[in-house]
Amino acid sequence: MITAAVAASQTGAEAPWSALGSLGLVVLVAPLIPGVATKTRALLTGRRGPPVWQLYADLRKLLRKGAVYSVTTTWAFRLAALAAVATTLLAATIVPLDGRGALVSFTGDAVAFAYLLGLGRFLLVLGALDTGSSFEGMGTSREVSFASLIEPGLFVALVTLGVASQHLSLTGMFGAELWRHWPIVAPSVILVAVSLFVLMLAECARVPVDDPATHLELTMIHEVMVLDHSGPDLAFILYANALKMGVFAALMLDLVVPRVGLADWASAAILVAAMIASGAAVGLVESSMARLRMPKVPLFIAGGTALGLFGLILLLQ
Amino acid sequence: MIGIFFIGVALMLAGAVASCALRRHAAADRAFIVLVLGGCLTSGAAAVAILVSGARVAVTVPSTVPGGSWVFALDPLAAVFVATICFVGASCVAFGTPYLAHQRAHRPVWYAHTVFAVLIAALTLVVTAQAIVPFLIAWELMAIGSYLLIVFEDEKGDARRAGLIYIIATHTGTLALFAMFAAWGAHASDWSFAVLASATPSLPRGGGVILALAVLGFGFKAGFVPLHFWLPPAHSAAPTHVSALLSGVVIKTGIYGLLRVVSLLGGAPPRWWGWSMLAMGVVSGVLGVLWALAQHDIKRLLAYHSVENIGIIGIGIGIGSLGAAYGHAGIAVLGYAGALLHTVNHALFKSLLFLGAGAVYHATGTRDMEALGGLAKRLPYTWLAFFIGATAIIGVPPLNGFVSEWLVYVGLFRSAQAPEALRLAALGVPALALIGALALACFAKVSGVVFLGHPRTAGAERAHEVPRALLVPMLVLGGACVLLGVAPGLGVLTVVDVAAAVAGVRPNVAVEAIAVVRDSAWVSVVALALLALLAAGWLVRRNLLRRRPVRLVETWACGYPSVSPRMQYTASSFAAPLLSTFGRMSGVVEHRSADAFRTEPVDLVLDRSAIPAWHWVRRTAMRLRPIQQGRLYAYLIYVMVALVVLLAYLGLESRR
Repeated sequence: MITAAVAASQTGAEAPWSALGSLGLVVLVAPLIPGVATKTRALLTGRRGPPVWQLYADLRKLLRKGAVYSVTTTWAFRLAALAAVATTLLAATIVPLDGRGALVSFTGDAVAFAYLLGLGRFLLVLGALDTGSSFEGMGTSREVSFASLIEPGLFVALVTLGVASQHLSLTGMFGAELWRHWPIVAPSVILVAVSLFVLMLAECARVPVDDPATHLELTMIHEVMVLDHSGPDLAFILYANALKMGVFAALMLDLVVPRVGLADWASAAILVAAMIASGAAVGLVESSMARLRMPKVPLFIAGGTALGLFGLILLLQ
Repeated sequence: MIGIFFIGVALMLAGAVASCALRRHAAADRAFIVLVLGGCLTSGAAAVAILVSGARVAVTVPSTVPGGSWVFALDPLAAVFVATICFVGASCVAFGTPYLAHQRAHRPVWYAHTVFAVLIAALTLVVTAQAIVPFLIAWELMAIGSYLLIVFEDEKGDARRAGLIYIIATHTGTLALFAMFAAWGAHASDWSFAVLASATPSLPRGGGVILALAVLGFGFKAGFVPLHFWLPPAHSAAPTHVSALLSGVVIKTGIYGLLRVVSLLGGAPPRWWGWSMLAMGVVSGVLGVLWALAQHDIKRLLAYHSVENIGIIGIGIGIGSLGAAYGHAGIAVLGYAGALLHTVNHALFKSLLFLGAGAVYHATGTRDMEALGGLAKRLPYTWLAFFIGATAIIGVPPLNGFVSEWLVYVGLFRSAQAPEALRLAALGVPALALIGALALACFAKVSGVVFLGHPRTAGAERAHEVPRALLVPMLVLGGACVLLGVAPGLGVLTVVDVAAAVAGVRPNVAVEAIAVVRDSAWVSVVALALLALLAAGWLVRRNLLRRRPVRLVETWACGYPSVSPRMQYTASSFAAPLLSTFGRMSGVVEHRSADAFRTEPVDLVLDRSAIPAWHWVRRTAMRLRPIQQGRLYAYLIYVMVALVVLLAYLGLESRR
């Protein structure tokens, strides 16, 4: 019965070259973001710091190394690092990185975006628990606790944009459709952008939620989960985290800078600039405040969520 | 077609008889399995044929009891449930028969099998009965069958207590159903559902009373908070394959009942009802998963997850009825379709998880997570099946749980975009996200503590893989989860048609739902791309490591040399940060000492409200005790006093 109606509603897809190009750009430039963050932090605290392309060098080194696996582990551990990259990459294909449209776009793909990141987290957590290490148990326990609070925040942001753009796919929420409504809904959208920055700090394990530079296992969250990963696996995980930052940078960019009418090269240049700027912003935060105490972290995330919720209330009133 | 369905039911009942009659023969188990599996396949095939054709077949049996003739019908709504019952029922029978085989020496196993087969048959009759009397008979048969199976291990005090709580809860629900049908039947000439449906216009307040009673009656069975309290004790006391059936399909008859009542009332209940369902769904979902996090008994934990998933289904029903009430056909179809598909999906992955818990129990003899660990190496196939179930229940791609949650999300997002007050349903979105994220945390805990890491006790150390007869049903259920995840169109297309029938709209006006059916192909693309990327990554890493040293060493303990399994994070410690974030709502009691940290879960409804309330009632009733002297003259005096008071009253009345 419904099949006929479905056939009638099929639409043609556009040429995905610009989306594909932007994806390639994010995939290549993303490792720069943690480098820029570290460099900013070093400069602001009066040190020289490692070069901004340090992560590229690290990845190259790790990919050429062998691996050390714990005898306790099973395939769950071997799957974790692959899943981190695969889910983040796939989630990136759903985001309109070029400011217009994504490679993959369908009704409710926002849910797929969030839940793909969720799958990556689940498998990473299982991989950490697979080692039977008390440190990694501690890290996973904290990771899932904070993630449980990040997820509602992310969805508040998504539903706010869904109401603002009257669309259900990330392409509609962040792409051209949003900009048709932008002048009316700007306050909400800007609140969501700020909220996304807070969520990015939490999701990508940066200060003030987590400190990638710390070497005291008791205070770490994300880093302590990957203690036993080595060689290519560690490279995959480091890369996935950088890619996630790149994706969040593109999401925030889409909310505040229109790139609809621009030439492809200009759009690409803005994207690269945004990724570098987001790295600098992360570095700025990291050099201006300390890591929060664990019990305070939920409040920080709830604060970010509240910003998005405020944006939603502005739209629903 | 209905004939084929009844042949299937007859085969199931023949299985019940065979198990009873052949109980002293060695062939009893085989005859039982063949007959019941055959019955499930036959009835299930009839249901699938109905789903494909979209037709409705019915049979009317003249009856001598009051209430008119008995109607049984297989329509698409019933067929979704019959197909689910038959598939899950067959898997549970295939698992349960070898599972109980070794108990033959000291327990009447034949009796559990007989009751189990009758229970499956009763379930199929509940969803096909289309008149009040046969519906209530089948409903009671189901309730009593479940009771007998819950108290199967009746030498255990826990099982007897669970059975008592269950029988009180289910009969309170049935009482509400009697009231509901009485209120409804008063407006109808006949007690068949078709006549009840035609009486809808004459019902006061759009059937509000009936809908409220339906929530009470069917809500007890489904296990919405706060009516869920019978579920955890019953599920943990029953034998595993029974828990799987209880959680997979028995509680779903509550969902069936709600959808059937809504459909008979025209698909668009009043707005307050939709908002109540949505609120109940959110509360059940959040509290269910939060309480699940606090559990350390695997089966109790899974039971609380049923409460959570019933909550998600409730959100779907709420959105569906709100969409219909506000006149958005598409949202109505999305909500009902999400609820239906999640019902089917939950039946698949929850029965899989329960069977997995049963396999763990079979191998180790304990359900206490704190005593397990490291089973992934010892029970690799059980771990694979459990892993599929866990990934499915947290609702992530590429498995089936994602597809139904996606439908519910799209329904919520569409409601948020509506112009009227309906858009307040936007607040359901973060609630559903919280439910999903907490479920992820909870299944990370179960999988991690039970299957990964080091064994925590000698029992877990010695465990070995369960026999193949137990593995096959689990892997079949797991295969179904994968299939509905990578080919979501199968499920979505079916439930959208059924949901349109429930909502009373033509499918082609439900624009938003059509978009979802179309885009389920994209979900398929995402799922397959994910699997392909993982496979590609696996190959890339193998190539990278080909000529490099790969060493196997002990887990890095940051330099500490003497590591013991006791140092691992326990189930209690894993969940502690999250539970403390939610404070008292999480219902745990903490025990801290210098060398141990332990949390103990309490059910806030049963242990903290229902039982104290009962004690209060009993204490208050005891105050009246002095008037019951047990002496004849005292009662004669009471009768005299009553008569005098009555006479005085009558006298005063006539004077006026």
